[in-house]
Amino acid sequence: MSKVIVCIKGVPVPGATKVDPETHTLKRESLELILNPNDKSALEMAIRLKETYNFKVVVISMGPPNVIPLLKYAYALGCDEMILLSDKAFAGSDTLATSLILAKTIQKLSPYSVILTGLKSIDGETAQVPPEIGALLGIPSLTNVKKLLKENDYWIAIRENEYGEEELEVSEPFVASINPHVFDYLKPPSLKRLLEVEKKEPTVFTISDLDLDPQQVGLNGSLTQVIEVFEKKIETKGTIIEGNPQELINKLIEILKTKDVI
Amino acid sequence: MIFEEIKLENLDKGNILAFGECYQKKIHPSSFEILTPLKEISQSLNKKLILVCLTNLLEEIENLEDLKKCIADEIWFILNPELKNFKDDLWAQVLVEIIKNSEPYGFFFPATIIGMSLAPRVAGTLGLGLCAHVNSLELKNNQIIMARPTYGENIIARLISKSIPIMATISVGTFPINYKDQQPLIKKIIFPQNFCWKSKLKVRKILPFKKKVTKLSTAKIIVAGGRGLKNKENFQKLFELAKLLNAEVGATRPVCYEGWTEEDRMIGISGITVRPKVYLGFGISGALQHMVGMENSEFIIAVNTDKEAPLVKMANVAFITDAPTFLDLLIEKLKALK
Repeated sequence: MSKVIVCIKGVPVPGATKVDPETHTLKRESLELILNPNDKSALEMAIRLKETYNFKVVVISMGPPNVIPLLKYAYALGCDEMILLSDKAFAGSDTLATSLILAKTIQKLSPYSVILTGLKSIDGETAQVPPEIGALLGIPSLTNVKKLLKENDYWIAIRENEYGEEELEVSEPFVASINPHVFDYLKPPSLKRLLEVEKKEPTVFTISDLDLDPQQVGLNGSLTQVIEVFEKKIETKGTIIEGNPQELINKLIEILKTKDVI
Repeated sequence: MIFEEIKLENLDKGNILAFGECYQKKIHPSSFEILTPLKEISQSLNKKLILVCLTNLLEEIENLEDLKKCIADEIWFILNPELKNFKDDLWAQVLVEIIKNSEPYGFFFPATIIGMSLAPRVAGTLGLGLCAHVNSLELKNNQIIMARPTYGENIIARLISKSIPIMATISVGTFPINYKDQQPLIKKIIFPQNFCWKSKLKVRKILPFKKKVTKLSTAKIIVAGGRGLKNKENFQKLFELAKLLNAEVGATRPVCYEGWTEEDRMIGISGITVRPKVYLGFGISGALQHMVGMENSEFIIAVNTDKEAPLVKMANVAFITDAPTFLDLLIEKLKALK
């Protein structure tokens, strides 16, 4: 049976990250991780491919053990196999180090047809991992894909860029990041699978399972480095107006008139 | 156009390269934007700044005149019929060859969709570090330090890349375009006979956009909304206000992710950079990710309950009140005035 691999990421709850004023490092106020919202369409795409072409879907996530609920959610949606990539040595990996860990894992899952990811994570927002995985595996990469269809021995992909939509032919295997807004409807997990997954645990891969050197991953293996984080302080520069809403509206109308807006 | 032909293996080494996105018969303006910060850096480091363009036919480019007055020292063209359409794998392989042969000090890309597909493919192939979406580049002790807003409220991260060439994608709309009188030296790079121009991708057709592209980036008046508008219904009222004020509607990242509006209305580092005469923000606290996209607005008006919100502080005028109620009242009032 052909395989679709979908990579998902757990991201911190928005707003839970602050700068520690003493150490100038990022401090997370909550350890809770939520599914990267952009990954939802990649999961939906994977499940739809499974239903249409009878694929097996493997979901992978790299992170601490608290991404396990996200993997289980993906299973409940219809994924068949869960893989957790978890090792202290992975912490602090930049995009290339992350892509290397994912590519090594994907090689172990060979043969596969398609690798799907979200367009980008909402925390790092780099969108770099999918093309880097493609480069490391030596397979084609497509970004911002809206549609995938299998036709004979190749695939038809529709992707969007600043110029419009492009229809391409691509041979498998390939990696595609999925546009976050392609599906109007995301199928909820089924009760049956929600109950089923309670008894299941993901397969865990650590650094030794992937034949990686600690020097290639984590902070050590990352060629890009954050040297400083700081909070941008903003001083009040304009007028702050309080009062009853009607008065405020009148003031705003005056301002809009002086600015020739009305 | 007169140009010099040069063999791939004879390229000048150690320079700073910028990707010139040449597609659909045009050079994307973001490629000229990124030359602005890179010019300063290349001059300080005493290196040449070179714009690298991949395309099929030089004659087809409509804005060739802009190219002739851009501030790059040189323009390198790689011309081949196979480069007519954007094929990620082939274009990346061409750039990989350019890097191997010219050993640049830096290679920078505009953070367009093509730039963001290509740069990581090149970085992945060569095992190089790549910084994403930077909006500031400066030299410190001859080292290029980059910066970008990061996850969370008002946090900026400074980054370096430890591999050479230093690579980054640069935010679109962040830097002004500068021109000069003197035409850059234009060179055509001749690839060896045995280079394989094949791709595993084949573009069947290109369908231009059906939907209207928003006029946000050039709008004179913008009404924008954030999470403080509480729900999609309230957000949609901005379109009514926009009609009354002849304005465009903008949004913050969280509300786009909530699905209150299309992502092409997102203002900020991962969206569009705007410079309207008047910017009116409803229920927007002002995360840095949004603020870098609108801080050059001429006049900023904020409507928010929180006096401490960054956008309230940054605004020329801030109204401290409940944004959804205020929006209703304003629409009512404007309708009465008409």
